[in-house]
Amino acid sequence: MPTINLRGAQKNYGVNSANAVSDLDLEIRDGEFMCLLGPSGCGKTTTLRMIAGLENLSGGEIRVGDRVIDSVAEGIFVPPEKREMGLVFQSYALWPHLTIERNTDFGLRLRKLPKAEREARVESVMQALDIAKYRDRYPSQLSGGQQQRVALARMLAVNPGVLLLDEPLSNLDARLRLEMRAELKRLHKEFKTTIVFVTHDQWEAMTLATTIAVMNEGTLQQMGTPNDIYDRPANRFVAEFVGSPPINILSFGKPGVSDIADKAEAYFEACYPKLRGIGSIGMRPEAMGYATKLEDVPQGSFFSEMTVTGVLPTGGSWILELRSENHTLFLTTHALPRVDNGERVFFHVPPEALHVFDAEGQRIVEADTLLRSNTYN
Amino acid sequence: MALLSESTKTQVLGRNPAAAPSAWQAWRYRLKVALREPTTLIGVLTALLFTYLIVVPIISIVLDAVRVQFGHERRLGKDVGDLTLYYLDRAFFSPVASDLFWRPLFNTLTVALGAISLSLVIGTVLAWLISRTDMFGRRWFATALIVPYMLPAWTFALAWTTLFKNRTVGGQPGWFEAIGLTPPDWVAYGRFPITIILALHYTPFVILLFGSALRRFDSQLEDSARILGARRYQVAVQIILPLMRPALLSSMVLIFAKCLGEFGVPYVLGLPVKFEVLSTSLFRSIASRQTGVAGVVAASIMLIGIVTLMIDARLVREARRFVTIGSKGSMNRQSRLGSMRLPATGFAALIFVLSVGLPLLTLALSTVMKMPARFTLDNFTLDYWIGTDLHTVALQTGILLSPELWAAAKNTMMIVGLASLTSGILGLLVGYVVIRTPVRALSVYLRQVTFLPYLVPGIAFAAAYLSLFAVPRGPMPALYGTVTILILALIADQMPYASRAGISAMTQLGKDPEEAAQIAGAGWFRRMISIVIPIQKGSLVTGVLLPFISGIKGLSLFVILAVPSTDVLTTYSLRLVDYHYTQAANAVVLIIAGIAYFGTLLAQKLTRTNLAEGLGS
Repeated sequence: MPTINLRGAQKNYGVNSANAVSDLDLEIRDGEFMCLLGPSGCGKTTTLRMIAGLENLSGGEIRVGDRVIDSVAEGIFVPPEKREMGLVFQSYALWPHLTIERNTDFGLRLRKLPKAEREARVESVMQALDIAKYRDRYPSQLSGGQQQRVALARMLAVNPGVLLLDEPLSNLDARLRLEMRAELKRLHKEFKTTIVFVTHDQWEAMTLATTIAVMNEGTLQQMGTPNDIYDRPANRFVAEFVGSPPINILSFGKPGVSDIADKAEAYFEACYPKLRGIGSIGMRPEAMGYATKLEDVPQGSFFSEMTVTGVLPTGGSWILELRSENHTLFLTTHALPRVDNGERVFFHVPPEALHVFDAEGQRIVEADTLLRSNTYN
Repeated sequence: MALLSESTKTQVLGRNPAAAPSAWQAWRYRLKVALREPTTLIGVLTALLFTYLIVVPIISIVLDAVRVQFGHERRLGKDVGDLTLYYLDRAFFSPVASDLFWRPLFNTLTVALGAISLSLVIGTVLAWLISRTDMFGRRWFATALIVPYMLPAWTFALAWTTLFKNRTVGGQPGWFEAIGLTPPDWVAYGRFPITIILALHYTPFVILLFGSALRRFDSQLEDSARILGARRYQVAVQIILPLMRPALLSSMVLIFAKCLGEFGVPYVLGLPVKFEVLSTSLFRSIASRQTGVAGVVAASIMLIGIVTLMIDARLVREARRFVTIGSKGSMNRQSRLGSMRLPATGFAALIFVLSVGLPLLTLALSTVMKMPARFTLDNFTLDYWIGTDLHTVALQTGILLSPELWAAAKNTMMIVGLASLTSGILGLLVGYVVIRTPVRALSVYLRQVTFLPYLVPGIAFAAAYLSLFAVPRGPMPALYGTVTILILALIADQMPYASRAGISAMTQLGKDPEEAAQIAGAGWFRRMISIVIPIQKGSLVTGVLLPFISGIKGLSLFVILAVPSTDVLTTYSLRLVDYHYTQAANAVVLIIAGIAYFGTLLAQKLTRTNLAEGLGS
């Protein structure tokens, strides 16, 4: 399917209510596996439903290639049944009165394909998803994971130009979710379909997507590869939403509120005097290290002395809780910590791992080159 | 390709779709989306239909109350149709006002309050015994004690007269009179028996509503209080009762609303001693062609009904604050009755015997006995059911051989059947439109207009129909005396239940299955035929069956709108009561009760639902 383009897409559900989606520009290229990521209520599902045509727009337009399929200004609305897309619902929405085979067959029958071809396609897609043995059962007789496969099979059978998935894994248990993630990735390779996937689970987005679009309060925050999103968050919202445990934020310009922030301000003034207008900086827990002696702290990194107040094992790695007089930080380590509660340690972060945001919370891009290029002076 | 997409891009940028669309553009787009599918069109058509069938009759009767009616021009010195306060004055302030309105109002209120108090006392005890104790035969009683509600209320009124009728009224004497114990008038007729019968008839309301609230009650709340040292009675008074208050108030209000429109019981038991309630007073006004006064009384009944149900809606809203989300603690706790186990079971059994066993047995026996209360073998006969060449003025065959019964049965089947089928289908359509239409105003209007008849007691609604359709208006010929008016009135009267069933079915179905079909490429009609209707088959059956049952036992609509040629079973039996063909009347009532009871069971079995859920609507 050609590129899908949302331009200035808007949705509000009532005259006086806030926009569920406002002024959204989004480009989904052929073959892409795009994740719409955001907290609940951020407009990601609404966006998906607008693409499918299940919600109409309040403003803006949607194009597929150079064909307008939805536009308020031009008065064009192509109904969902004519958009040739596939959508897997969060609830799966299997038709309870039809068998698994008839559920899978439904779209093909509508397209009036010859019987032989229909049967062949149903068979192949049921084989691919390993549900052929349930063909004569009804949806209520299947488990959640099996229902999920049927919902996928039903949409894949008609070979849609784009497959839209609305939090399809959220109702599955942890193990099954992992299996289905791998399955989805395999299907994406096998069928080469464009996939748009809605989730609030950052790990799901990270592991699956080729492109992630992070949304908040109806607006697009950042669009990029998983690495982009994680390594170069465009603003504080993205930085804080992605990552677990969450990023440590130090707000500048409020002397006395946090001793660590004050130290960071001093550090930036001393080492990077050219950088102006910093509102806050972020340090990912997993980018931070710690040392028990000052001489072990790497040259040029930002560091400070703090007290260990908690060692939390998470299986394979550990989270250290560090406190100073008026600040608490978290850092992650993969080696068994040889420190105990009450011990003094130095945490340290290399400059290239510092995220610098301005007063509005936007990333200061120039800072990245500066922090990276600057060899330890 | 690259070139092409580049050029589109600039073109797109040039037009800037992100700019807010003009009001005209937005409106055009919305209209296009709304008209794309027949949903909106169907919505508009049904809205028009129900405006005509529900709103217009109600307006018409309210207007009757303030306009000069035919026959009063001379006295009032105005033309027919002019505005007048004469009827209001007559009903509320004139010397006859006390007979027309105030005494019936007082009687209605006192009877209703009596019935409410009595059924609350009996109902709460029974509900508690059934849902929270180890009484013997709990499960059986849970169904058995609901039976009175499945039967027409005036079944019990007829049973009462069969037992207690005294020499005040002619015809066959009651059993007590026959064995020489003349019951006083206050036992035989009027306030006392009406209150008792209505109380017994509506006790199931309390059992169902209070019982389900009790079952949903989270016993962890109870346990927490016990752990903190509260005694049993303290828990009951300080924790359980306050949380049960909404359910109790709600059942009180519902019983009141039902009593307001109750016609059969006061008609059978009140008439001999001129004990009038609002519904019988309305009936009398209509029967004596006092259309203006009838309008005033009907409008008053409507007003009281509407106010009552608004109070109920408010209570329900407040009750939401009390909803304790069902956790694992709910429902299981049972109190040990200990030595009270047997007496408690006895109490439940007594209520069952009084409210179901005795009345039905009396009616059944009365239909096979020549003389009342003489239990000798030669007094028993099947003549009243299947006899021929009987020596009576009319009805010379047993009731089952009488052509009138079969005509009435055929009428019932046709009128009630057709109306139920129509309202069931309309209900599903309304449900679909209400849930699906993008036009919010249409959804709200349809939901409210189809609910309106619920606020209007059947007898007032029938009066409204009479007022509108008795004379030709515009293209509509006069419908009085036709089957059509009965069917139309029944459809309108059943719409609250039908539309509620439709709306809740569509809400339960949710959007997803249909949207999935839409995504798969199915247009509107295909979705209807392949997805919506097959899934909703069950609720369509209930949506037809439940109104059918209530229509079969319904009396108040028919008693005003039916004429002998359009007799249905209920009006036929009432006519037999009027002619004092006691055995035949009782037999017809038994037939109706049988159909209603087994029909309800069938509906419950088919849909695996429980009456309690239907009651909330």
